[in-house]
Amino acid sequence: MADGPRISHTSAMILQAIGIGHIYGYTVMEVTGLASGTVYPALRRLERDQLIRSQWERQSIAEAALRPARRYYKLTPSGEAAVEASRKRYPLLARLASKEEEVQDV
Amino acid sequence: MKRQWLPSTILRAASLLAPGDQRAEWLAGWRSELWYIPRRGSTVFCLGAFRDALWLRRNSPSPGKRLESPLSCLAFLALLAAPGLLIAVLLLPAPDTMARSPHLNVRGLLEGCVAMQLLSSLALPAIWLAMGPGANRCPLPWRSRVRRGIFLALKIALIQPMMLGGFVAVCAMPIANMPFSVCWILAIRWALIDQRRRCPECLRLLTDPVRIGSASQTFLEWYGAESTCSRGHGLLQTAEMPASYTGKPEWLALDDSWKSLFSEVAGVRQP
Repeated sequence: MADGPRISHTSAMILQAIGIGHIYGYTVMEVTGLASGTVYPALRRLERDQLIRSQWERQSIAEAALRPARRYYKLTPSGEAAVEASRKRYPLLARLASKEEEVQDV
Repeated sequence: MKRQWLPSTILRAASLLAPGDQRAEWLAGWRSELWYIPRRGSTVFCLGAFRDALWLRRNSPSPGKRLESPLSCLAFLALLAAPGLLIAVLLLPAPDTMARSPHLNVRGLLEGCVAMQLLSSLALPAIWLAMGPGANRCPLPWRSRVRRGIFLALKIALIQPMMLGGFVAVCAMPIANMPFSVCWILAIRWALIDQRRRCPECLRLLTDPVRIGSASQTFLEWYGAESTCSRGHGLLQTAEMPASYTGKPEWLALDDSWKSLFSEVAGVRQP
């Protein structure tokens, strides 16, 4: 049996996306191709399981950019371990990393 | 900010599914994300909000404070039963039309309640079996068992006037009986689920659910939720994913040595 936490393919994709810098819900949707009804509950579940943590952007930053504040996500240490384990289990996840360069604003 | 009436309406409708105490933050999160969505995809994007709100509703601990004590539960059901009876009486046909109407009359109201009670009693074992096994409990004293039985019987009895009101309404209006039957079964099912969520000793709703383990990180190990009786009578452990070795919820009775730990909690809860 592989060591490390066992997570589903969807969770692994989302963790991988966050790990490579897609820290907002919508950008995770874009890069993974998953629907909003899949991504947002999965983000909540991963946060509950302490694989990611979320935080609201500072209001002053959002106001300066004339846009609403967003919630962004970061991997926790156990989330990073889960990403490492999932890369071994799902080798094709590495393809998500190639899209990182295309994203300008993260 | 872009204003789009359809996505905003969808988000507002979906927010009704989210728990009240988290609704504002949930809505703010979705609205801020919506701002970044291209206009043509915004409606499809917002449809996912229903699933997210349902997830949040399902995974938020909401002990149902109003129904925590058995007496308040019965009082709440009685409050709901009163309009049920009122509807039944108001929708009954006038005396001169009774002879040619298949509807219930006032004298038949009590008989209707009794008939509904009998039907519920017949349906009860089937619904009980369909719901799966209840918690493993250590043998309870006969007084506790009688009290539990009386409480369940009273709940089901108070559901009958509500159902009778619905039944009379169904007879009075040209709608199918199927939704009424489904509601009736769901109401009985709720009474049984509520019974299983209560402490077998004091009949109060179990509170403070705590998650143990997590599905994302657990393989072939127990994970689920543990709820506590606020009076310290015991703990109910419910597996999130029933397996052959965790088919039933487990009730762990706590002995008197735990009393001191719960006395303060009970004091806080009972001003």
